[in-house]
Amino acid sequence: MDAFITALRAELYVALRSNSTRLVVVLPALISSVQLLLLSFRSAGEQAREALSGQGFGQTSVAGADAWGALVDAMSTGLTLTGLMLVAYAAWSFAGDRDSGALRHLLIRRVSRRALLAAKLVNVHIIGALSVALMLAVATLVANALWDFGPVVEDGYELIGTQEIHAEIRLGLILALIPLPAAIALGTLVSVSTQNATQAITAALGLTLALDIFKGLMGDASGYLYVSYQASLLNESYLSDVSRLVRGFSDVLIDPAALQLNQWAPWPQMLVMVVASLIIVQYRKL
Amino acid sequence: MARDETLASQPVLSIAALDKRYGKTAVLNQLHLNVERGAIHGLVGLNGSGKTTTMECVLGMQPFQSGKLQVLGRHPSRLWQGRGDVVGIFDAPSLHPALTVRQALEHARLVCGHPVRTPAEVEDLLGIARYSNYKIRQLSLGNRRRTSIAHALIGQPEFIVLDEPFNGLDAGGVDDVLALIKKLNHEHGTTFLLSSHQLAYLENVCTHLAILHRGRIELSDHVDNLFHGRQARLDVSCDQANRASVLLAEMPGVSDITRTGDNDHAMLSMTLHALDAAAVNTALVLAGISVSGLEMRRPSLTQLFHDIVGTH
Repeated sequence: MDAFITALRAELYVALRSNSTRLVVVLPALISSVQLLLLSFRSAGEQAREALSGQGFGQTSVAGADAWGALVDAMSTGLTLTGLMLVAYAAWSFAGDRDSGALRHLLIRRVSRRALLAAKLVNVHIIGALSVALMLAVATLVANALWDFGPVVEDGYELIGTQEIHAEIRLGLILALIPLPAAIALGTLVSVSTQNATQAITAALGLTLALDIFKGLMGDASGYLYVSYQASLLNESYLSDVSRLVRGFSDVLIDPAALQLNQWAPWPQMLVMVVASLIIVQYRKL
Repeated sequence: MARDETLASQPVLSIAALDKRYGKTAVLNQLHLNVERGAIHGLVGLNGSGKTTTMECVLGMQPFQSGKLQVLGRHPSRLWQGRGDVVGIFDAPSLHPALTVRQALEHARLVCGHPVRTPAEVEDLLGIARYSNYKIRQLSLGNRRRTSIAHALIGQPEFIVLDEPFNGLDAGGVDDVLALIKKLNHEHGTTFLLSSHQLAYLENVCTHLAILHRGRIELSDHVDNLFHGRQARLDVSCDQANRASVLLAEMPGVSDITRTGDNDHAMLSMTLHALDAAAVNTALVLAGISVSGLEMRRPSLTQLFHDIVGTH
């Protein structure tokens, strides 16, 4: 345990002074904020155009839908980016230190190989948690500055209340966060298996994108694949359904079985990849 | 206490019948090597002879197929349990490139089981204080190597393994590192295993030498023993070279006399057998020949190395 704590402190010491870490933490928040700003400009432009041309007159408007929809979309974008960056960061974490030789000092002086890998995994999770927390906080603040939030109302009829929206967003976020540890474990497995950091990052991102595409071809079986629940470029996460729900759409069909799978399927996959990483790291040349 | 006493009597490094293969290619072949406590043991060999692989096996960075390897009584995979009693300084300086020199040394202090020096002290020791705020990636190879050595000296290791420690160092840097190795060895009893192609530097600093060739240790012994029995050459500067040559040729224990220069001032070079330079000097002076210089030349490590590995 002492060795693990030492390794974790050493990892955090380097992470706090690394530009790569800052990028992983800050970039998702920045991108989701930019998306919110662009959506707000587009929304304001459309409203101005409709007001000038009178085209919007007589059409039904859904109050509050834009604000919630934009916020959920921005969060989804932020989580997509966070997922990809965490996979890349996890892939770089071990392979980069192996390339520079920096992990040799730790392994000779103070830490076992497994404790070092465990510390790196925890380090990536801490950075991931910071990244998600910052992105959610910044997106919420920016959205609040740009829009007024309230229940989604159409013609005086409340389609969905604020509390219900909050509950749906919360559930959507939890379900989208559950597969992230498995994504990190994939990055780590690639990191300990490849020859160098460039190969590790390329392979980890390539595999993630390949799995993303692959899930569309798997039919119902894709429900057992962790990437099916990850916010991604081909988004099938529950958060994409939440985006429609909070816009007042009533045609969102949610399969309870898929929600169940979302909650447990990523964990055994993460476990298998972590165990495989621990076995590989014990026997490979460093 | 009993374990400490047992360890003190054991070699710091003990390698027996070590085999290491990359695929079907054997790199180390039944390698045997002992490094005694307090020794500065040099490891020399041609490119590809297995020096770095040996170092990496010793430090637990590479698994090996068979054989026995113990460092301070531990298997290499358990070196970390010694909390810094063994350190390695590699051919490529193994430091986080994004950290500054000071941060790298603070990081070393963080991971060192028993730090005995502050980052500022080791910076002064290695002459890198003025680069304290430079990022590792901004440093020259020589200064990265100095930082790497400084990194190792935050603690008080019993055993230091250095792979090519003189690469990239300027003449002053080499002198500093040689002096530091001698100082740590004399003052703290630190044991060293160092590999290098710079045979003259190794000859200068090492108490023991091992020659690695084709994955085997061909020779490993105390430096004095390595040259024992190998004939030394004596150079004598004198006048009356004709008389001196005749006189020396008649002396028992002197052979292979060669001469350069004229009769008034010549250099005579000869091989001595069970005879010291003082006897030659006395004989010449008693014969009225002025001797202006005497120099004993033992075979160099380079010569010994070439004799063993068969290169020129």
